Amino acid sequence: MNLSKVFTKAIISSPERQQEADADFAVVKQVQTGDVAAFDKLILKYRERVFGVVYNLTANREDASDLTQDAFIKAFQSINRFQGHCSFFTWLYRIAVNTTLSHLRKNRLRSFFSLEKLHEDGTNAEVLEQLTDKKGADRDTYLQELKEKLNEALQKLSIPHRTVITLFEIDGLSHSEIAEVMGCSEGTVRSRLHYAKQFLQGELGKYLRS
Amino acid sequence: MPELEQRPKVTVEDLLRLKRAERPAPEFWGNFEREMRQKQLTALLEKRPWWQEIPQFIARRAYLPVGATAILAFTLVSVKYYAPAQLAQVENPPAGSPVTVDHEVTAPVAPVSSPLVNRTESVASVAEDTVVASTAPVSSTASTDVVELMPLLVAPRAEETPSARLLAANLTRLEQSDADFGHNVLNARLSAPAREQIAAPAAEELASVPTNSTRRNRLLAQYGGRQLNPEPAPPAVVRERLARRLGDTDTSDRSNRLARGIDTFSTPMPQIVALRF
Repeated sequence: MNLSKVFTKAIISSPERQQEADADFAVVKQVQTGDVAAFDKLILKYRERVFGVVYNLTANREDASDLTQDAFIKAFQSINRFQGHCSFFTWLYRIAVNTTLSHLRKNRLRSFFSLEKLHEDGTNAEVLEQLTDKKGADRDTYLQELKEKLNEALQKLSIPHRTVITLFEIDGLSHSEIAEVMGCSEGTVRSRLHYAKQFLQGELGKYLRS
Repeated sequence: MPELEQRPKVTVEDLLRLKRAERPAPEFWGNFEREMRQKQLTALLEKRPWWQEIPQFIARRAYLPVGATAILAFTLVSVKYYAPAQLAQVENPPAGSPVTVDHEVTAPVAPVSSPLVNRTESVASVAEDTVVASTAPVSSTASTDVVELMPLLVAPRAEETPSARLLAANLTRLEQSDADFGHNVLNARLSAPAREQIAAPAAEELASVPTNSTRRNRLLAQYGGRQLNPEPAPPAVVRERLARRLGDTDTSDRSNRLARGIDTFSTPMPQIVALRF
């Protein structure tokens, strides 16, 4: 077992993540040997997750679409440099986050919302029930207002704090994975996460019940 | 109020979980895939600028034998800094071989440090005008230590400065008188008539020296008498040993006299040498 495998296993704690990383690395090896079509598997597998991260960071669906494509193109161009020191998923996330942060810094003053429709399925129906007892049009108006207030509050956060809370609460990454994606320590991640939650509680107090 | 208390708690985490429900419609992904394909083909056909290839090139070549490069650099530095000394040692002849030494060169580094030398002359100019020894015709059986130093010693050109001219003239006088003296001493040791011939003027010189010390006179008389006493001819082995000892003594004395002669140019060297013997 080479050193990169050991290092990767130390980073990826859960066995499911490890299996996923091994499968991804096999596909990456195919791409590196010249099988360009194998990269489509990786695009199909990760496009929604990458899009979700970029969308939650930008709050703009068009920008998120372009930035997601750019992230995949960059990953494709740099695929020969990937040597398996971390999982492909983490590596791809890092590319996407860095691309998005660069875009946000360039267009700091130009920000407007272009939000996706809120899909009501089984996972969030319970939360929606808890949030409102309204019915019909009133309920839709209330949810639209809640969505905009939530995005506004997120956009008021600084870019690092927004990134941390997006990756942790929305995408479900662990502290260590976020630290690796962002290139900082786990303590920094925890600190930013705590601050971001406090800020959001202050901004969204109207919609919270304790 | 009781209704509000019965309603379940809503936290920030719950609100943020709603963000997961903001997903694009399925048709969005069709458009996304089409655009993605175009960008991928463009990226394949696009030739990257050369400066973007530099980091990859360096990263690929970083596995070159760094140790070999370090050794090569160390070797180059070592050769650069230590090559002159090594070359000088290589130029030295073997210890046992006869060495030809230019007698002008035997005036060593002393001219620079001598008080008689014009100190305004820069060391750089002296070094520029010097010639490396071991070019000339006079043969000498000098000791190994002296021989090893010879190639490194340099001497100024006699015609360049007044001090150098004075130095060269003194050295020439010293060599001539020294050679005659050594030759005479050697003959005096080996044959009685020659000894008498040399001892007579020496005794006259000694007698002419005014002194009040009776002990000194007695010692001088003993010295003169011993020199004048006829002795049987020594055997060949003794003669050879004597000659060798005289040769060594001659060499060391010559170097001593040269050093002293450089410091005291006006001293008549042959007379001093005669008195010492």
